[in-house]
Amino acid sequence: MNNKFMQKFIEIAGRIGSQRHLVAIRDGFVATMPLIIIGSLAVLINNFPAFGSFSIVDILNNIFGEGNWQTVGGSIWNATFAVIGLLISFTIAYNLAKSYEVDGLSAGLISIASYIMLVPVTEDFGLNMNWLGTQGLFVAIIVALIVTELFRLLIKANITIKMPEGVPEGVTRSFAALIPAMIILAFVGLFQAIVSVFVEISVFEVIFNLIQEPLQGLGNTLPAALVVAFLNHLLWFFGLHGTNIIGSVIEPVYLPLIEQNANLFQQGMSAFDVPNIVTKPFLDSFVFMGGSGTTLALLIAIFIVIRREKNHPYREVAKLSAPAGIFNINEPVIFGLPIVLNPVFLIPFIIVPVTLTIISYFALSWGLVPKTVAIVPWNIPPILSGYLVTGGSVKGIILQLVNLTVAILLYVPFVMAGVRAMKEKMGGQ
Amino acid sequence: MKIRLVCSAGMSTSMLVKKMKEAAEKQDFEADIEAVAESQLKNHLESLQVVLIGPQVRYLEGKIKESLEPQGVKVAVIDQMAYGMMQGDKVLKQAIDLNEGN
Repeated sequence: MNNKFMQKFIEIAGRIGSQRHLVAIRDGFVATMPLIIIGSLAVLINNFPAFGSFSIVDILNNIFGEGNWQTVGGSIWNATFAVIGLLISFTIAYNLAKSYEVDGLSAGLISIASYIMLVPVTEDFGLNMNWLGTQGLFVAIIVALIVTELFRLLIKANITIKMPEGVPEGVTRSFAALIPAMIILAFVGLFQAIVSVFVEISVFEVIFNLIQEPLQGLGNTLPAALVVAFLNHLLWFFGLHGTNIIGSVIEPVYLPLIEQNANLFQQGMSAFDVPNIVTKPFLDSFVFMGGSGTTLALLIAIFIVIRREKNHPYREVAKLSAPAGIFNINEPVIFGLPIVLNPVFLIPFIIVPVTLTIISYFALSWGLVPKTVAIVPWNIPPILSGYLVTGGSVKGIILQLVNLTVAILLYVPFVMAGVRAMKEKMGGQ
Repeated sequence: MKIRLVCSAGMSTSMLVKKMKEAAEKQDFEADIEAVAESQLKNHLESLQVVLIGPQVRYLEGKIKESLEPQGVKVAVIDQMAYGMMQGDKVLKQAIDLNEGN
């Protein structure tokens, strides 16, 4: 491996991985994950499929009346995933401000206020929910970044009200934010007025039509899914946290796609008919089984190939990694085997996920398996995750089993080659 | 000795922390070890001696070194193999050696 190229690659990846704004975006999304998952599970329960003649939905319908008990899950959804744009506008601003070591709470609040200023209102003067959710995600990101930058500049330039000594810190802080907030909100208001006079549609619609929708259309294609899978694994091969580095780019594009699926599913559409194939849960549950590289299959392949030598180093690593591997945590196998910078495993580590992405894509697009309609925590083990993300379909499990089998078959020859290479090296010493 | 391990989500590194604590106990070595996210690190600065970075986020090394080394905190990336094999004793030794300036 060319060392200079490698160093450069790691350096660039590292710079992206620690770039302040991208980190703020990524951490902003991470912060909302619990709410997203709860909203998603609420929808799942509301529409839970029957096991033969046993149906939770029917039972609850009989007790509480149809449509009554569902309002619990429905309102949870409305307050979480359905307003994710609003939530993100706070969390990103908060994280970015924190990284500059200025007041995160104030920045977050000003960002929310600015966001709401721009949201189109309905005819009876309500906030239009459509733009509070994923459709407003890009606006939320842009607003949060710009507002926080302005806030930081104003604070650092000392354009604030000074309080005499002895005034409690909380008071000082809220007054410190007063003038910056005033300037920023006036600026946003002016901007909003200008746009509505000259463009005649809202900022939200402009950004959605020009940026978000095209990107989402692109994201929901097989080539895009392959690029994501490839990049993620290339980064991991160099020992870098792939999903972490590309997360800030992936989340804004892929979150709306699963939200759209989940929302239609909640309105009664079948998981087969929802529009989007490629989503984050699609990759997490059908491709990244046991973690990036489908390493669960690698562990099984190791146990199959090395049955007799109980103390073989590969087997030791596999044994050590298996418990965490079931929950999709695979750093032990990635660094212990190692996969990192190990030419033997470079090929399968990239080929396996790419192959599984292709298989899964066609299984869903041909309607053999329902599409993903729920986000579950990424550390839910395979089999269970396949069942849940497809809205409770056994076909989701079957696809996972097929994928696992394919992945094991692909890994076996490379494990054998690795064992042989290791033996030769030992013999040569 | 106060040691903090930095990783992305704190999942796999917390397994390593457990192993390191076991190793420290075996050696009767008093150590305060915890895994934290990078953004949390600044809440742990008090009498902090060593920061070890998970190899999967080793690109944070420069940034963390820059902010902590002037305060006398020793910073290093965890040995990759020891991390993968979850060798708590080796990583603990890395931390101790680092602190003693070897």
